[in-house]
Amino acid sequence: MKHFKNILKPALLAGLMAFGAGGFAQADVAPQYKPYEGTTLVVNFPVFPHYNAAMKVIQQFTEETGINVEVDQLAYLKMRERQTLELTKDEGDYDLISYVVFSKADYVFADQLENLARYFMNPKLADPNYDAKDLIDGYVQNIGVAGGEKGYLPGPTGSLYGVPFGAETSALAYRADIFEKHGLKVPETLDEMVDIACKIPQLEPGMGGLAMRAASGHHASHAFLLLLNPLGGAVFDDNWQPIINNEQGVAAANMLKKITDCGIAGAKTFGPSEAAAAFSSGQYAMFLDSIGFAAGFEDTSKSQVAGKVQWALHPKGVVAASQTGGFGIAIPKNAKHKEAAFLLLQWLTSKETDLKIAMEGGNPSRFSTYQDAGLNAKYPYSATFGEALKFANPDWRPIIPTWGKINADLGTTLSKILTEGLDPKEGLDGVAERAHAIMDEAGYYTWQ
Amino acid sequence: MFLAPAAAILGIALLYPIGYMIYASFLDWNPSQRIGEADWVGMRNYLKLLHDEAFWESTWVTIRFASIVVTLEMILGVGLAMLLDRNLRGMSILRTIFILPMMIAPIVVGLMWRYMYHPQVGIFNRTLKSLGFDPIPFLSESNWAFASVIISDVWQWTPFIFILSLAALQSLPKSAIEASRIDGASGWQQVLHIKLPLMLPVLIVTVLLRLIDAFKVLEVILVMTNGGPGLSTEVLALHISRTASEFRELGEAAAMSNVLLFLLMLLTICMFGYTKLQEKRSLHLRQAAKEEV
Repeated sequence: MKHFKNILKPALLAGLMAFGAGGFAQADVAPQYKPYEGTTLVVNFPVFPHYNAAMKVIQQFTEETGINVEVDQLAYLKMRERQTLELTKDEGDYDLISYVVFSKADYVFADQLENLARYFMNPKLADPNYDAKDLIDGYVQNIGVAGGEKGYLPGPTGSLYGVPFGAETSALAYRADIFEKHGLKVPETLDEMVDIACKIPQLEPGMGGLAMRAASGHHASHAFLLLLNPLGGAVFDDNWQPIINNEQGVAAANMLKKITDCGIAGAKTFGPSEAAAAFSSGQYAMFLDSIGFAAGFEDTSKSQVAGKVQWALHPKGVVAASQTGGFGIAIPKNAKHKEAAFLLLQWLTSKETDLKIAMEGGNPSRFSTYQDAGLNAKYPYSATFGEALKFANPDWRPIIPTWGKINADLGTTLSKILTEGLDPKEGLDGVAERAHAIMDEAGYYTWQ
Repeated sequence: MFLAPAAAILGIALLYPIGYMIYASFLDWNPSQRIGEADWVGMRNYLKLLHDEAFWESTWVTIRFASIVVTLEMILGVGLAMLLDRNLRGMSILRTIFILPMMIAPIVVGLMWRYMYHPQVGIFNRTLKSLGFDPIPFLSESNWAFASVIISDVWQWTPFIFILSLAALQSLPKSAIEASRIDGASGWQQVLHIKLPLMLPVLIVTVLLRLIDAFKVLEVILVMTNGGPGLSTEVLALHISRTASEFRELGEAAAMSNVLLFLLMLLTICMFGYTKLQEKRSLHLRQAAKEEV
């Protein structure tokens, strides 16, 4: 196997632990795993709270199956770069990869991922107790399926290429103590949320209202979509015509500007980590982003607001529409040990493992995990997140190969709106015009 | 025959990668494809650049950035070299300390300045607050962000100009300076009419090296602002990097790289042309002086 310079120490340690554990557990291997006993799988995971939690349980897979696992854990943007190179090789180094949701379009379009149908059809591999219906369908549709509606959603022609693992939706975190102190009602709508966000600096001098990512590029675009979806807006209509500059788009841009204007200094350049850090250090009363940050807010070694945070559903506009995003896992077409990789994929996303990882602070991929009493006792916000998933919009953003370019353009234009006073309508008109040209060049209007 | 190994190394190590990049610029190539699978699109990538507003904005940011930082660094670097070109106790230690910034990895420089510019915990805004002033949006307002990346670059690279200028100063013929002193030239006159003209060949090469480097700057800006707010600090190298990795357009990124290469070549040719002109002028003056004698 090629050497991996970037393997993190904990990852390597866990990998070695898994390797070692395998050596001692061969006698207990279940018959279905026997043909693959002694196989060493190389997997590529991101450095991300869910995967850090998964690393704590992955050695159990080796103990149960005799299949060894070596983990190459990378920062998620680096992971994408590495995968892009790996997937073009005749024989890749990775047997199983984690991919960020917008990579689905690129990888499937380039025919680089295994269609999972033939594995779930194989009685020697597929666990009859897997219970795929229990997987959160919004996540499966958003992260796992391609080839159906719009090319990236389910539909009669769609197929499964990956399974959600580390997927996430969005919810609103708020400081219960601050809300109680000032008799504030937890916002249910976006208008109420923005109203409170701008009241907070007056009620609590020095404190910002709503911490939200807004840095130029992807983050500003992401924040905009968090507002655009509940407002009933979208990037494209059903004919791929950009409608981002319509009334809802302009309203979302204005709302984002107002939120950052009511924030503390530097709010307009926050990435998600900076926004979360500002909230966890007590500088903000609310935080709107991924549920993946929840465990960190309760970590007393890092958070100054542990025990004071409560969660509410992503506030609605004309509709309730929370984010779908995060990561899935898939088997590369050029993997060396595809069947053993499927067994790992199946094990990681099984009911039992999903719960174990959730108990370690990971993001559940299953409804049953969210309903687990033990999990709800340990993480009381789990019930809210389970409820939020009912409103998770699988078409939250277009997962198409051209999205990277449009996303970057949208994000830099929004940053100009936030920091340079560019008129939102003028800015979004420009984005729509350029997006149309990009879509035209990519052939999206060929049949129109 | 003796030149063959050198020519082979030059061909393989230097020209092949450049040829590869030029070839790639004529392809519609994304990172999920091997280069052989990419479609030939002729000049399309270059034609697209003509209408790419973000590309031209980045080019303009790069030109402004490079011009400002190199000018400031030359003024400060040469000025400091003039001041420190003397035998004082502890001068060698001072010189060593002074060149430390250029030894630090650019990523670390970016992180360091980013934290110093941090709106809440950064040293600058904390100091301003403690003195009763409003905080400055160092990285969250376009003009301030541009100024902030310039300050960090000047901090890191002024020592480079300083060290070369000092070496040039110390290698100047003592006789010329001595003669000017005997003729009654003041310190400023010595600097303007003796030292700077004699240092000029070294200074031209120094400016050229810094300009080339400033045109390719990436890491510090990537860490400090990632090109934002808006596109206010998105230099060409960063735009090329995003085009390749985020937009997955390797052909377009190669075309942009070639435009950058062309710009730098143009700059180099101009600089060398100017040096040649100066040499010819000096030769002409020397010959004229000989003829007079």
